[in-house]
Amino acid sequence: MSERVGVAGWGVFVPGFASLADWLATRPSAAHMKPEGTLVPLRERRRASLLSRAFADAFADVVAKSGLDPSQVATVFGSALGEASTMIGLLDQMWQEQTALSPMKFATSVHNTASGMISIATGNRGFTTSLGADYDTPAMGLLEGIGIVQREGRPVIVCCGDEGPPGDLVPGDNGWSLVCAAVALCPLDGARRDRPQLSSLEMASATLPPAPTSPSLGRNPNVGLLDLVVALERGSEGVVRLDRGAGRGYSVRVHSERA
Amino acid sequence: MTSPPLPITGFALCNALGRTRGAVRDALYDGRCGLSPSPIELPFETVVGAVRGDLPELPAALAPWSTRTARIAALLLDDLRAPLEALRGRWRPGRIAVLLGTSTAGADVTENAYRHFLAHGALPRDYDLFRHHSYGAILHVVRVLSGAEGPAWVTSTACTSSAKPLASAKRLIDAGMIDAAIVGGIDTLCRMTLQGFRSLEALSPEPARPFSAERRGLNIGEGGAFLLVEREGDPMALLEAVGESSDAHHISAPDPAGIGARLAMERALLQAGVPASSLDHVNAHGTGTRLNDVSEAAAIEALFGRDVPVVSTKGYTGHLLGAAGATEAAIAILALREGWIPASLGALPVDPKVTARIATERTHGSFRRVLSNSFAFGGNNVSVLLGAAR
Repeated sequence: MSERVGVAGWGVFVPGFASLADWLATRPSAAHMKPEGTLVPLRERRRASLLSRAFADAFADVVAKSGLDPSQVATVFGSALGEASTMIGLLDQMWQEQTALSPMKFATSVHNTASGMISIATGNRGFTTSLGADYDTPAMGLLEGIGIVQREGRPVIVCCGDEGPPGDLVPGDNGWSLVCAAVALCPLDGARRDRPQLSSLEMASATLPPAPTSPSLGRNPNVGLLDLVVALERGSEGVVRLDRGAGRGYSVRVHSERA
Repeated sequence: MTSPPLPITGFALCNALGRTRGAVRDALYDGRCGLSPSPIELPFETVVGAVRGDLPELPAALAPWSTRTARIAALLLDDLRAPLEALRGRWRPGRIAVLLGTSTAGADVTENAYRHFLAHGALPRDYDLFRHHSYGAILHVVRVLSGAEGPAWVTSTACTSSAKPLASAKRLIDAGMIDAAIVGGIDTLCRMTLQGFRSLEALSPEPARPFSAERRGLNIGEGGAFLLVEREGDPMALLEAVGESSDAHHISAPDPAGIGARLAMERALLQAGVPASSLDHVNAHGTGTRLNDVSEAAAIEALFGRDVPVVSTKGYTGHLLGAAGATEAAIAILALREGWIPASLGALPVDPKVTARIATERTHGSFRRVLSNSFAFGGNNVSVLLGAAR
């Protein structure tokens, strides 16, 4: 697993901040407390969960920064719990209200809701997938993405996020807050010379320090992708652990010069 | 980019037709329907494809992870004991991936736990989201029971969930990242899914009749299938290619023109570098809903003409949702190995708008290359191209 891929760009949605730069500089914005999801047409956006809108915002950010064509690029969406809050809404309908389930809520309760909404919004008839692996979700999302770049020689956007879990299902202080991060990967021969590269996954012990997050953000199963995005933004070189110690230990190496 | 086919060295099935590959095979051969009244109490009439009987418990060390999903996984691995042992003999544990698919994960457990929460203000004491519901739970169980220590994830793209891992496995093996993968998927029956499809007016009150003029919708089934895909090994069949596409049309309705479906099939052929004329059979997505069957049949007919026999096996098993892709790919392998395809149960009288050739009787012949289609919410499409072992 030593072949490298290029990084074409990165993006995020962090609640309360207009951009990754603002979050790193601690410049909060009351106007950005919730994701807007403006990539998705208004009618579908009204039905979209917080998570789907956050995916749309992070996706729009990485598309803007990478210059990739959203109607053509392959996409991998990773989430540990996906649309769990939509599921709880359906269970409330089923058990408390004892009414027929909302067909639209049911149709948007699937894990690949964001993947579908974004492919529809961008008119993309290409590859998209949606996966999860608890705290290894960022690592496995990256691996699926790197596989696509290496095998098929085309760019891919890997976008990982989770909203806070329904409080009723994760009791105590074990919950986390919403975050969504995205990385655009591309074949080396199409990569810009001034952009970093990634080696495929490894199990490493000496890693770069994680990004300075709040404890709640730090518990998000996808915070490892945010750590990678921060390392890329800062121009760091070294190994980024993708699970903050909560998963199986996958890391990825960031290179700043060409192989 | 074309790539050489990979050997599928073992496969297992568990669903309403039986709990082993052999039992499912025999039921399909005999034309037996596995659908029956729902064991889950519902405020409406439908039939489901339930796995019959009690499922054996997991070994004691895995007891905290014991769910219906995990117990079905254990049955599937048990059915794969010999080929899995051979696979482990060929590859290091860290080079064996676990790539699964599900749409329900542990929803059957969570919906009852949440009901308990609403009634008592607390979750059941033994409920644990990460051991009973999330994707990590089933990955942990399969890793422990199989000895695989490589990359592991669950694809969840609704009804294509367990077909897409075949593509992931092929990519990762082709890219040299792994040597083998346990691939497949499991879904279990739950109230929320049944009520959800009811709210979409997609559920049939009687056994589903895909492609029939008299079809009234789909039935939900449960179960799973695992396939072993390796870089080298004694092939039971060949994984030639997997075509993937998006409709870019609607979140829950298929594109009536079938453009995405056709793209997935075309991409599978392109990836394998084989012509459409080389195809002998299509195991269709064939849900039994008004919209799916006509648009899928049109896409099949446009690509392969009217001679290729098409079957939907959802009239036997129900729609296994997240497990349908792997299940139907495994059933398609039976055709390659044994030279017969089951009748498309309940298809007569075939809808005159369905222009593809629907096999309404068990058909014997030489099947050297077959395609298995899966389509899903979000407009997600997968076509798995399988070849006979040479």
